Amino acid sequence: MTSLLQRVKSDMAIFAHRKARGMLDGEYGSVFRGRSLDFDDLRAYIPGDEVRDIDWKATARHGSPLIRRYVAVRRQTVLLVTDTGRNMAAAARSGETKKDIAVMALGVMGYLAHRHGDVVGLVSGDSAGTTALPAKGGEAHLERLLRRVDSAATLDAAPSRLEDQLDHVARTIKGRNLLFVVADEVAASPATSRLLRRIQAQHEILWLTVRDARLVPDEPLLPLDEVPDSYSVSGSYPLPAHLVPDPAVVSAYATAVAERDTGRKAMLRQAGITEGEVAGSRDVVSALFALLERHRRAG
Amino acid sequence: MELMWWWLLLPAAVAAGAAWWAARRTDSTANARRRPVAHADRLILLPEYQAALRRHRRWLAVALLACAALLASTAVAAARPVGVTTTRPEQHNRDIMLCLDTSGSMSSADAAVVDVFAELAAEFDGERIGLTIFDSTAVQVFPLTDDYHYAREQLELARDAFDGQPGSSGFLDGTWSGRGSSLIGDGLASCLNSFPHTAGRAGNGDPGTTGDPAATQDAGATQDPGQPQRSRSVVLATDNFLSGEPIMTLGEAAALARERAVHVYALNPGDLDYGSGPDQPGAQLRAAAESTGGAYYALDNPEAVPGVVRGVEETEKTALRGTPRAVVSDEPGLPLAAALLSGLVLAVAGWRLRP
Repeated sequence: MTSLLQRVKSDMAIFAHRKARGMLDGEYGSVFRGRSLDFDDLRAYIPGDEVRDIDWKATARHGSPLIRRYVAVRRQTVLLVTDTGRNMAAAARSGETKKDIAVMALGVMGYLAHRHGDVVGLVSGDSAGTTALPAKGGEAHLERLLRRVDSAATLDAAPSRLEDQLDHVARTIKGRNLLFVVADEVAASPATSRLLRRIQAQHEILWLTVRDARLVPDEPLLPLDEVPDSYSVSGSYPLPAHLVPDPAVVSAYATAVAERDTGRKAMLRQAGITEGEVAGSRDVVSALFALLERHRRAG
Repeated sequence: MELMWWWLLLPAAVAAGAAWWAARRTDSTANARRRPVAHADRLILLPEYQAALRRHRRWLAVALLACAALLASTAVAAARPVGVTTTRPEQHNRDIMLCLDTSGSMSSADAAVVDVFAELAAEFDGERIGLTIFDSTAVQVFPLTDDYHYAREQLELARDAFDGQPGSSGFLDGTWSGRGSSLIGDGLASCLNSFPHTAGRAGNGDPGTTGDPAATQDAGATQDPGQPQRSRSVVLATDNFLSGEPIMTLGEAAALARERAVHVYALNPGDLDYGSGPDQPGAQLRAAAESTGGAYYALDNPEAVPGVVRGVEETEKTALRGTPRAVVSDEPGLPLAAALLSGLVLAVAGWRLRP
């Protein structure tokens, strides 16, 4: 088995080549202000860096933008929160397993944090129980976290209940941390909304939604292989694909999904949480970049 | 309605049960082909989807019912539903002995007589017919039988013989013993003896002393009381030109026939009486035939065949109903129609349920 972290790194390398080297690091560094006032050194500006970090005098002397770097006195704790229940073993919008996308996203975020010198912990679980792995540094630890998520989220796992994991965070995690939540399309509910507001008051939260598989084709007359036969992981009952091309079902489904998405977005926005969406593992890095960017702008 | 092979329903029931069990068994590999999805409540809680699912389930139920009906009806059809009816077949209890004079004087007319006999045989239905030919002695060509196919074959052989077809000369063997020719009384008596039951008695006894009607009828009645009395007729084709000394004269033979309640129908091919004297052969023959309750026809008389048939049919005896017989007949129509109907319903449901 190839190292999960190795896959994350190679994906990030591809992204870095596509955009600009170090851009993600710049975004991460801008977002997570774990900086002291102790000047460390100067380095060249990378797009994505905070403009206010530019040392204008040095820049003027040097002729190109330079960034002040400070010694990080406070090591940030990045807490990866994810669901490892049965739901995550289901298909994502892209047809992959949601778990793979989640591992990729957690890996990118964890690796960014690692490169930044932060420690990374994990809170994961399902409705049967929540496990927390303490925050540590090092690639080996990160690899262990990813393995944990990868091995726990199977079709034999207990049903998903992300509220349990969030509740665990609210009850047991002390201090201010950066929470990176990877979840699927959870439904909005008043209880979850309250819980999120409570956590947001303590922590800083980034929320990445892995889009669930489409159950109905966009158009009623699409060929059926667009939506294969499915079964629900929660009850193991089948969802025959040939029932859904009914135009009434398609339009009702579109309305229902739009309402669900709107409800979730509204819940997260109300709680002050920045949300990003990812449909497949190819989009993880860019989706994460966009999420960090949005979070930087927002806060 | 009964089932002849009712035990076939047991394997059918076992097969149906096995199919039901196999269908009910949760197939652990069924989901391997499917894609696992989460949050299926996005879809299944939609009223529109539930309506579609209900429609699907309704068609499934229809298909299931049609399957069950198809299996049941074909199983019933395979078990051979039979209807048992009790019939008392109407039997034509009539025996007709065709009696043909093959003497030289008849040789020109015999082929025509055989044709008339064949015509007669075709007219009868359910009767037993037999053929006896005689010249100086009588030969039974075939005994009383209701195998008309065989009778027709034999009559065709006879016609071939009379037409002089090569290879058929043996047909008349045994009819000539040199004691004369055309012994009509003896021939008729032999024909009378060809009828069952009374044949032995009449053959043994002196023709003169068998004239006791009561004794003979008693013997006939006691011989086989279970067997209904059959009417008896002799169709006698002769020109009544006697040459020789018969053991019995025509009159005696006619008396014997009368005593045994046998009707004699005479067919005369050469109705050539000189005048109307009672000693002319045609008149004698007519008198003998009519004395037995029969009739006399010239062979070329167009009334001959219908007249004989009518006369024979009028002799129908009382006990003409056969013993009650159980008739078992297949009646697969209803289950097969049900199978066809359920097959059609199944086809429609399958078309509706196609993925």
